[in-house]
Amino acid sequence: MQKYEKLEKIGEGTYGTVFKAKNRETLEIVALKRVRLDDDDEGVPSSALREICLLKELKHKNVVRLHDVVHSERKLTLVFEYCDQDLKKYFDACNGEIDADVVKSLMCQLLRGIAFCHSNNVLHRDLKPQNLLINKNGELKLADFGLARAFGFPVRFYSAEVVTLWYRPPDVLFGAKMYSTSIDMWSAGCIFAELANAGRPLFPGNDDDDQLKRIFKLLGTPTEDSWPSLTQLPNYRPFPMYHVNTTWQQVVPKLNSKGRDLLQKLLVCYPPDRLSAEDSLQHPYFGDSSPGPK
Amino acid sequence: MAGNFWASSHYQQWVIDRQDLCRERQHDMKHLTEEEYQKVMILFANVIQALGEHLKFRQQVIATATVYFKRFYARNSLKCIDPWLMAPTCVFLASKVEEYGVLSNNRLITTCQNIVKNKFGHAFSGEYPYRIQHVMECEFYLLEMMDCCLIMYHPYRPLTKFCADIGSEMELLPVAWRMINDSLRTDIPLLYPPYLIALACLHLASIVKQKDIKTWCAELSVDNDKVMEITKTMVSLYEMWKIYDEKKEIQPILTKMPKPSPSRPPSETPTMQDANSQQQQQQQNQQLPSGGV
Repeated sequence: MQKYEKLEKIGEGTYGTVFKAKNRETLEIVALKRVRLDDDDEGVPSSALREICLLKELKHKNVVRLHDVVHSERKLTLVFEYCDQDLKKYFDACNGEIDADVVKSLMCQLLRGIAFCHSNNVLHRDLKPQNLLINKNGELKLADFGLARAFGFPVRFYSAEVVTLWYRPPDVLFGAKMYSTSIDMWSAGCIFAELANAGRPLFPGNDDDDQLKRIFKLLGTPTEDSWPSLTQLPNYRPFPMYHVNTTWQQVVPKLNSKGRDLLQKLLVCYPPDRLSAEDSLQHPYFGDSSPGPK
Repeated sequence: MAGNFWASSHYQQWVIDRQDLCRERQHDMKHLTEEEYQKVMILFANVIQALGEHLKFRQQVIATATVYFKRFYARNSLKCIDPWLMAPTCVFLASKVEEYGVLSNNRLITTCQNIVKNKFGHAFSGEYPYRIQHVMECEFYLLEMMDCCLIMYHPYRPLTKFCADIGSEMELLPVAWRMINDSLRTDIPLLYPPYLIALACLHLASIVKQKDIKTWCAELSVDNDKVMEITKTMVSLYEMWKIYDEKKEIQPILTKMPKPSPSRPPSETPTMQDANSQQQQQQQNQQLPSGGV
């Protein structure tokens, strides 16, 4: 670990403390994530193992790069590329104003990162502004793969306790245990709306019920017609048939019509009908100007 | 993870050259012949298989654990870490990586004790000496030595695809599938990419079942020499198995196997009692009628 000079503590991750540090030889700035090895527990925590083994395989511009894993006296330190801030802090600093082109660029990068993960059969499962890093060149990177998992094998037995409440899709809120890439696409939709509104969360629910109410008030309460087998979900309970009286223009006033169309195709209650990351990138919203990173 | 094999750590770091493998094994080859070494590896593949089956793991998890074991000893002598400790450690790590629910620590060690006693009495005498603390420490070395390359591509998936393509899921798939399991008893998983292993097993299965798949094979553009190499290795495994009786032959081989030196215990032990019993165990192991340790 002599290779790195610790500069400051950045935060607490799922399973350990994160430091900003400098590589003494190359002077490169990195983020160090120390993995606590709690004795007589489970050895190396499975959340850390998942992050390590998935990021070892996922190398993409929009996925945070794991440079190295350093083993020292029963400690593991993950060495990541350093990013200046996460999207949450970016929102806090933007003073309620994000340029439409920047919204488009960030959304495009988010979708590219997700599409790459999905094409490698990896679900992130916990997309939220705190887990999206932004470096000083405006590049967005998916981070914190502690809840991510590889899929492709029997997709049962997934924990229902994934995805931070505000970004959790209705199927998961109803206790669905079988889910796939659509889980990340719902979160992407919520983040898209939050980007367009310069950091105002779309569905800031207080608990599961409140979360579902907020969703259904905007999208309408789903029925067996719009969502086959809805009532079979483990934690299904009936909700009032809300009368939808908010227009998308009111929800995201600064987003253009093509952007609103994309948003509506992501925020679909019935999971199979949610647009995929690959298809989202082909959406006309990204067509009118070059969507590359800015 | 069924992403891009060619960009994977499996392909980029863990498809090893045969010469490399021989060079790394030089030390162990001073004590064991190549066939004896293979028999040691077969024994521990069987131990891992038995452990996995008792813990009701899918074959995928068992295969991953087996390849972890091979990767470790591809780069280390058998004397670096006792394979009797490494085997359950590989199962422990694979179950976490493949997300096979939480494996209780007690259950792993108890299962290990039972299996060693009831199924491998011919290879291991006395009480199974390791505790979960040893497994966790060993996991740490295993991770480091594998450079944290934990995602594994197995031949099962390409095999399933090939069989579907030929339209022979009923006939060839089960036979070739078992052959893939058998290939875990050889160096094959270290030396070749999984799709070539799947092809070789499919080829062998087609011979066993007398089903002509030549036309299908002709349309593939693959390295046929490699497929033939794998086929030959598999055939020599089956030849060897015909005359090999593990129960009778393994004990003298294990006695010759290089072992961790007792002055460098595999782990710090949590209590004095444990430490003592382990030392005794190591001494017992040392006192077994020995060849050339």
